[in-house]
Amino acid sequence: MLSFRKPLTGIERPQMPADVVIVGGGPAGMACALRLSQLIDQHNAKNLDSPLSKENIYVLEKAREVGQHCLSGALLDPRSMRELLPGFEKEAPIDAEVTTEAVYFLTQKGKFKFPITPPPLRDHGNYVISLNRFVKWLGRKVEETGITIFTGFAGAELLFEGDRVTGVRTDDKGVDKQNQPKSNFEPGYDLQAKVVILAEGTRGSLTKQLIARFALDRDRNPQTYGQGIKELWEVPAGRMAAGEVIYTMGWPLTTKEYGGAWIYGGKDNVVSLGFVTGLDYPDPRLDPQHVLQQFKRHPFVVSLLEGGKLIRYGAKSLPYGGWWSIPPVAGAGWMILGDSAGFLNSQRLKGIHLAIKSGMLAAETGFEALRKNDSSAAALGDFQKRVESSWIRDELWKVRNFHQGFEHGFWRGMLHAGLQQFTGGRGVQDRYPSTAGPQHLKKLAELAAAGGHEAHLIGAAKGDGKLTFDKLTALYHSGTKHEEDQPAHLVIHDTDICNSRCVKEFGNPCQNFCPANVYEMVDDASQPSGKRISLNPSNCVHCKTCDIADPYQIITWVPPEGGGGPNYDGM
Amino acid sequence: MPDSILVIVEQREGKLNRVSWETLSAGQALAAETGWTLEAAVVGSGVANLANEIAGKKVAKVYAIESPKLEPYTPDAFTAGLKPFLQSKQPSLVLMPHTYQVRDFVPKLATAMQRSAISDCVGYKKEGDKLSFTRQMFQGKLAADVSFTCGPPWFVTFQNGAFRGDKVEPGASAAPLEILSVEIADDVTRNRPQEVFKEAKQAVDLTQAEIIVSVGRGIKEQKNIELAKQLAEALGGELAASRPICDSGWLPMDRQIGSSGQTVAPKLYLALGISGAIQHIVGMKGARTIIAINKDSEAPIFEIADYAVVGNLFDIVPPLIEEVKKAKAGA
Amino acid sequence: MKILVCMKQVPQKDAPLKLNEAATWIREDVSYEVNEPDAFALEEALRQKEKHGGEVVVITAGPARAQQVLREALAKGADRAVHLEDNAFVRLDASNTARAFAAAIKEETFDLIFTGLQSDDYGYAQTGVVLAELLGWPHATIIMQIEKTDSGIKVKRELEAGYFQFVEMPLPAVLTIQSGINKLRYATLIGIKQAKNKPLRKVALADVQSALAANMQTIERLYIPQKTKNTEFLEGAPGEVAKRLVEKLRNEVRVL
Repeated sequence: MLSFRKPLTGIERPQMPADVVIVGGGPAGMACALRLSQLIDQHNAKNLDSPLSKENIYVLEKAREVGQHCLSGALLDPRSMRELLPGFEKEAPIDAEVTTEAVYFLTQKGKFKFPITPPPLRDHGNYVISLNRFVKWLGRKVEETGITIFTGFAGAELLFEGDRVTGVRTDDKGVDKQNQPKSNFEPGYDLQAKVVILAEGTRGSLTKQLIARFALDRDRNPQTYGQGIKELWEVPAGRMAAGEVIYTMGWPLTTKEYGGAWIYGGKDNVVSLGFVTGLDYPDPRLDPQHVLQQFKRHPFVVSLLEGGKLIRYGAKSLPYGGWWSIPPVAGAGWMILGDSAGFLNSQRLKGIHLAIKSGMLAAETGFEALRKNDSSAAALGDFQKRVESSWIRDELWKVRNFHQGFEHGFWRGMLHAGLQQFTGGRGVQDRYPSTAGPQHLKKLAELAAAGGHEAHLIGAAKGDGKLTFDKLTALYHSGTKHEEDQPAHLVIHDTDICNSRCVKEFGNPCQNFCPANVYEMVDDASQPSGKRISLNPSNCVHCKTCDIADPYQIITWVPPEGGGGPNYDGM
Repeated sequence: MPDSILVIVEQREGKLNRVSWETLSAGQALAAETGWTLEAAVVGSGVANLANEIAGKKVAKVYAIESPKLEPYTPDAFTAGLKPFLQSKQPSLVLMPHTYQVRDFVPKLATAMQRSAISDCVGYKKEGDKLSFTRQMFQGKLAADVSFTCGPPWFVTFQNGAFRGDKVEPGASAAPLEILSVEIADDVTRNRPQEVFKEAKQAVDLTQAEIIVSVGRGIKEQKNIELAKQLAEALGGELAASRPICDSGWLPMDRQIGSSGQTVAPKLYLALGISGAIQHIVGMKGARTIIAINKDSEAPIFEIADYAVVGNLFDIVPPLIEEVKKAKAGA
Repeated sequence: MKILVCMKQVPQKDAPLKLNEAATWIREDVSYEVNEPDAFALEEALRQKEKHGGEVVVITAGPARAQQVLREALAKGADRAVHLEDNAFVRLDASNTARAFAAAIKEETFDLIFTGLQSDDYGYAQTGVVLAELLGWPHATIIMQIEKTDSGIKVKRELEAGYFQFVEMPLPAVLTIQSGINKLRYATLIGIKQAKNKPLRKVALADVQSALAANMQTIERLYIPQKTKNTEFLEGAPGEVAKRLVEKLRNEVRVL
């Protein structure tokens, strides 16, 4: 019997007052904390008799260690870091400055290099970094300034009072599989905060609660997502230079899927490679991890990786929706940052610099709120205004219709992208609509049994064990670990649908789109379909794909007990 | 004094601990390679007959280190009893099995003599004049060759199963036996141990099991685990499982082997219906002998198995249980 | 009861390990965590404090990163911490580590010193016992239970093959604690906050240098163990296969 995680009721919870609680210790959350600290220090230097305290400013990070759940390619546009910490390049962990970029269109065996690198993908001046290491470094700086980072604690629920967000409830610890307290049970704390800042990353769970509660997505485009699967490889020396950047499009995807690969040269012969697949493909049998393995079979990738060793594997979703999908980002007692809000430039494939900038702007608003002791909707609404008059808006406005242009296939998307290039992002209309990813899924009955053009992307990859891997083997390299004895944190609201309708209609695509083998249909004679959904929750890498892509929208991802999850060291 | 190797065997309540033969075997191997003299010692009270047992093997001399204060075992008494003996004998190498008891006193004895012990070794290497001892590090992920940078006596303990107890060479004739009575003052022993007793364990500690019969998905249904249990019982081993079995609640979590369960290195690991996903393999690849039975000839478990049977475990396990029972009955 | 818990920071269990240039140790760029057996030792110490009152002090020897282990212990309820801080402590053998601890706690009077039963990286299981000898204290290893008595303590010692033994001991004493005897408690938010204000005394290598001697052992080389497996496939009818397996079990594996 599947038992799903939910906060225990009828228990007493410790109450802890806070000035600011930042949920999420990624680049947005850390930048926010750091900027807030700078502003407080500046204030205190001039106001010796009325200093502001950092004692009650907290960052909640669900991973066991700062940076452990951070995954990205990654290329950092240094613009916002230079504002936050001028001269940061001297002490931040940076793999290399980008030296060369190349964009390829791949066919099964061949490749065509774009004669000119499209401007959005020009990366000169950007840095190849490991986001995990970068955030670890940022985290150390945050702690040095005196702001407390609580690692191993997740934000489980938002606390509301009418229209106001009044705080965050952290995860219950020591709850067994049946949701019963164990002997070492520790109830989650109620952090009563003046300002709650949601920096949970892609598809934040508290952000989702907030959006639902206040219908923040009304008259916004539905947010759309991609899934990025990344592998870190150690390759023989000389294969790829540090700072070398490659993007590919085309094979193994067909014109019906959106996505492409990246390959970045890091230092010490470590290569970051991965594939992003838009979570709006039509065939529910498609398996994004299989897509990546197919990509690696291309001769040019083989020649890069041959003789090398897989070091790490991981996956994360990314919000593609752009400007029109971003909800209101501030209200009474709350602000939303970074990927949680959707601050990502899907054309440039970059969001870290925007996350950092959004964190800085939120800090400025938050600082004023603390100073005036006013965190009303009006006061925090200042954040919305700051964003709208900042270069975040300038940058995202120009690409506001980019991803939507691809809703009808690759070539149309390229056409629209071209048009948008010359019209400041407008294209054929100011606001292109978007459709939520799962709505693109076709039912099995409408598809070729053998898979048609996408047959090579369907179902689980077998892997050759050297360059390509089956999902379970790859997963081992994600270092993912959870307390085993806890309720399942993938909350399925109606498993009957999984066991009956979904088997027939879509063939249980969760088995395919989950990069971590969390979902499995097992034989069960007692079910009319002969199959039953079974979960391996401790495999979860916290990518949120299931929450996004399930066709019936009956899966809610909630944070498992804090401290669990992947270990993205070096990613 | 010529170089000598001293093997200190372990006994309890008048019986030699089986693992002592392994240590003796190690001593014989080392003696053969180094040319050093091999001697052995038993420690306790009234242990002359045990010393005699050892004397039947190929050793130069056997000592019985006697005192009523050495029974029952306490670290204080053992240290007080052995220290003067070792100081006078000055063996180059002192070998012992890495048992719970040895762990309890060897570091103390070595420190009392201003020496050091390399514990839990799985082998040794002799490169020219240099002796190094191999041990597992980081829970078996890496191996280390460790050598001494101090003078002798050098204390080394060997892991259970590192050497073959059955390979001990018998002696051409009985070795000379010397009984040494040691004086241990009354106030030396500070611990007061009570009777040893057996207790049903609350949780199973698979890391101590010598034989493990493990089931995976191939067992199909919970009720089939009974079959594996019978095999485990017939062999005198413990039952274990891969993750999915424990996740389904078919066996408790303390029987789980793998990266999210226990890591074991038993003498024998019998994998029934286990495919060999890497998450499971990392928990058992240190086993000395691996036997795998699986229907799928491509199951990765076969890559690390010593003996492989591609077949239906429901066909093979029942006759296997019978044959094991027959063998144990002395057929 | 005043209890000292010796704790060690080790590479995370699943961390991919890389050898250093000389192949004598691992590269330090891995994730670290508290040595799990030490976490059980700490848990037991905290429970003893809850039962009998007193103080729990935690100590570790290692680089700056090892402070994390102390912080976590303080967050869980330890009262004070001592950090022998220096990279050099990583390569000390068990004897020297024990000497460093003994020197660092010279001015203190503990009733009990706990260590975990062994470390997950070296796995020597020696430091606690060596420390007992250096201090001249009685000790016992692989302890499952501790009871206070009029004359000291009564401990339950685990032996092989399901055997146990009670031992009465005077105080002060050193105990190495068996893992898994208790459920580990979680650090709470309030505990983490309070930990920041708990005393953390740093001890430099120079402060204990005079107590140390040269290492008495050295790692000649560290390597990935090579296993040469020749898989023997047994074929035939089930009955035949069963007989052949038993033959192997008797003659090759020697478990029958």
